[in-house]
Amino acid sequence: MGSDSMQDLPDAPLSWGDTRWNKTGNWRHMRPEVRERAAPCAKACPLGNPIPKVMTAVSRGDLEEAARLLLERNPFPAITGRVCPHPCEVGCNRRRYDEPLAIRSIERLVGDWIQEHRTVYFPSETGKRVAIVGSGPAGLAAASYLRRQGHRVVVYDRNDRVGGMLVDAIPSYRLPRSVVEREARALEQMGVVFQLGVTIGRDVSVEQLLSSYDAVLVATGAHGERRMGIPGEEHFLGGLEFLRAVRRGERKPPGRRVAVVGGGNVAIDVARTLVRLGASPVILYRRTRKEMPAIEEEVERAEADGVEFQFLTLPTSAVKLDGYLRLVVVRMQLGERDRTGRPRPVPIPGSEFELECDAAIRAIGEVAETEFLPREVLDDQGWVVADKFTGATKRAGLFVAGDLVTGPATVVEAIAAGLRAGRAIDRFVRGEALPVQEKPLPTVPLKEINLDYFPRASRVSIPELPLAARCKTFDEEILGLDLNSARGEAARCFSCGSCNLCANCWIFCPDAAIHLDGDLPWVNLEYCKGCGVCATECPRGVITMKEELAREGAVA
Amino acid sequence: MITASATKVITGNHAVSYGVLLSRVQVISAYPITPQTQVVELLSEFVASGKMAARFITVESEHSAMAACIGAASVGARTFTATSSQGLALMHEMLHWASGARLPIVMANINRALAPPWSIWTDQTDSLAQRDTGWMQIYVETSQEALDSIILGFKVSERVLLPTMVVLDAFLLSHTAEPVEIYDQGRVDEFLPPFSAPYRLKPGVPQALGGLADPGVYFEFRVKLQEAMEKAREAILEEGKRFAKLFGRFYGLVQEEFMEDAEMVIVTAGAMAGTARAAVRELRNEGRKVGLVRIRVFRPFPFVELRQILGGRKKVAVLDRNLSLGHHGIFYEEVKSALYPMAARPLVVGYVLGLGGRDVRPEDIQAIVDDLEMREEAPEIVWWGVKR
Repeated sequence: MGSDSMQDLPDAPLSWGDTRWNKTGNWRHMRPEVRERAAPCAKACPLGNPIPKVMTAVSRGDLEEAARLLLERNPFPAITGRVCPHPCEVGCNRRRYDEPLAIRSIERLVGDWIQEHRTVYFPSETGKRVAIVGSGPAGLAAASYLRRQGHRVVVYDRNDRVGGMLVDAIPSYRLPRSVVEREARALEQMGVVFQLGVTIGRDVSVEQLLSSYDAVLVATGAHGERRMGIPGEEHFLGGLEFLRAVRRGERKPPGRRVAVVGGGNVAIDVARTLVRLGASPVILYRRTRKEMPAIEEEVERAEADGVEFQFLTLPTSAVKLDGYLRLVVVRMQLGERDRTGRPRPVPIPGSEFELECDAAIRAIGEVAETEFLPREVLDDQGWVVADKFTGATKRAGLFVAGDLVTGPATVVEAIAAGLRAGRAIDRFVRGEALPVQEKPLPTVPLKEINLDYFPRASRVSIPELPLAARCKTFDEEILGLDLNSARGEAARCFSCGSCNLCANCWIFCPDAAIHLDGDLPWVNLEYCKGCGVCATECPRGVITMKEELAREGAVA
Repeated sequence: MITASATKVITGNHAVSYGVLLSRVQVISAYPITPQTQVVELLSEFVASGKMAARFITVESEHSAMAACIGAASVGARTFTATSSQGLALMHEMLHWASGARLPIVMANINRALAPPWSIWTDQTDSLAQRDTGWMQIYVETSQEALDSIILGFKVSERVLLPTMVVLDAFLLSHTAEPVEIYDQGRVDEFLPPFSAPYRLKPGVPQALGGLADPGVYFEFRVKLQEAMEKAREAILEEGKRFAKLFGRFYGLVQEEFMEDAEMVIVTAGAMAGTARAAVRELRNEGRKVGLVRIRVFRPFPFVELRQILGGRKKVAVLDRNLSLGHHGIFYEEVKSALYPMAARPLVVGYVLGLGGRDVRPEDIQAIVDDLEMREEAPEIVWWGVKR
């Protein structure tokens, strides 16, 4: 360089031309990688809901976009937004920082928005026909998916209303019937046909369905009530039977003091329903609170409702006396772990005591009824044998999903299974290979979140009926968030592993090597010196540094 | 937005904040330090409440604060920071950067003595130690002048492309309240329109600012900086007159009072000028021919003005609330060097006083005048008020 005169120089020492000729990328020995990863919430979600993206949309107040994103993975957010045990909130990185996001409540807000703003979707017809047996969450999810693909879908149910366990077992204070009805109506408007009051295996056989449809999905759930096998068992009511009666209008409790045997969701639903009928339930469970398979939040709510728990107890007989029942109950202790990994309860000899009550309800588990299925898809014990991912059975065209296969599980798991089966059936009726399970994306742990960007903030308080009021009514007990609270709550989301174009990388890059003209930032490696500022300043672990491939002659 | 001008009783610190508000600064980056903190505290409130459309960048040190200002100014944003003492010392490297890159950043420095030992009280050594960094330095006497000098600072800085440091005494000015006229935004906008930077970085067309300059050009860039300082003299006077027309207050490079027939002159800077004025007025009442000169602009240094004002006087006392260790008071050495080329120079005596916030009272000034009157020659330093 050099100049003949000061007059030729600018006042500020600014380069004459642009500096793009100076490709500083060859200084680099680490390179940033822009790669979205799974958030722990989405990974924990059986549906794989794109939660961070939904949160970003909600925080901007864009419910339409949130709805679009959610519906890609979950056809019924208004339902899961109410009854899902929200494993997402357990997975939420914020749980280990302050408090988990109220993801379920936000999902509910979006779900309710969908129910109000839904437009009917008319797919182009494929001419393929699919029968679905069972209108519970698994069957409805498959119906929704398959209809959207353009197949004719007929859903059979032996019941006279759509929804299965959603309307027959889950109490209305957790899931109002109207919510399910709106979903059923939307499916009908889309062209799904419901054949109610038809029992497959009695009115029509599976074989008949198989011969008149291109594929059949059986998702009949688990409605058989497990028996205890003790003397006097005939004096016990079935838990599902009781819940069904209440959902159909029964409001008289079977007695004032009612023993409820079991520790699962049905037992809790029964006990909390009894409270609402004015009875005093006592739950007898043979293990401790820690081992209860029921949704933890529901157990807590049952405790708040005033349900009495007697842990490590098991009835061994029942006799009916003059207007009341006398149960003989033995105390248990926990022994070795069993196949499920839970400690096995063992009776303590000589610890029997008597417990008097007006009625007793048994809710120790539900089993699938499989007798109506072709023999070839069952094993020796009568369990259905099917591919865990697709639900395909040995019989071509016959698929299964939901509690029928897994035994009693959650609504969200049934929806997930129904969708997986739906996707498999779609491929099957098109004559394509069935889908295979994708390798899950790696997740972003809390330590990869740049917490400097996230002041601690407490979780939104979710409105609900006051305790005293909720115990007297079957009205929904948890209420919805308003849009403003939901936006504030959604803004707490770290958006782990999910870029929301916050532009921090762009701001901090000293080489102007980051570009934001796409869905994700990208790095112009011709200029990136590999300083790593972008990776450090990415609040959400989307950018990570990776060593460059060893250059020739470099010492590894 | 301030739509009508109003007089408020506010501190010097808050006067600075209002000056920044009225200047429609776009980026503020600062780190808190006593006695400056109130300046940016109020600014952060202005920004948070939406009263000011600016980005407030919080940082972990003064070095970063100035670096952030440099970044913002490099893309043409009007930029401000404030600091004191150790914070200013930590900025030192970046001060050179700001001027070398010709960025018209304005900062307020609240004079505070340097540690150790720790002190939070006034002393000019912190800002004077930065005299060679290429920043213009304005030593203000009142809160009104602080507010006005921020607006004027941006005006002159943006004209000559040099940064400005507006300097206030700790507590004596920063924390004492007096009536200050806060102008309506319309008039300030008229005086100080949005800044259109002749040189600025544009992300779309990457250029290097302050890149490597080989021995073939570095020298010339330094000469350009010095020329900009020389142009600033004229700019300060011209913009000062324009400001006076709009707002009724004129600020030049030096302020002279009681000078008509003055034989002895007190030269000082900053808030001490107020004390000196009271003393000189008293002496004038007694019939003594004493004058007062306040050096307002220290960089660029007002050689010409001082020669004109002090030429032909008998004796000059320079009051320094600062010390160049191993030399003497800094204003003293600068005044002497300004007068050196003159054939007939007054006797100039340097008094170092009030270091670390020690009170300087009107009686001290009067006693200094008595002391000056008796002297026939100047020692290197006259320490005033040292407890021997």
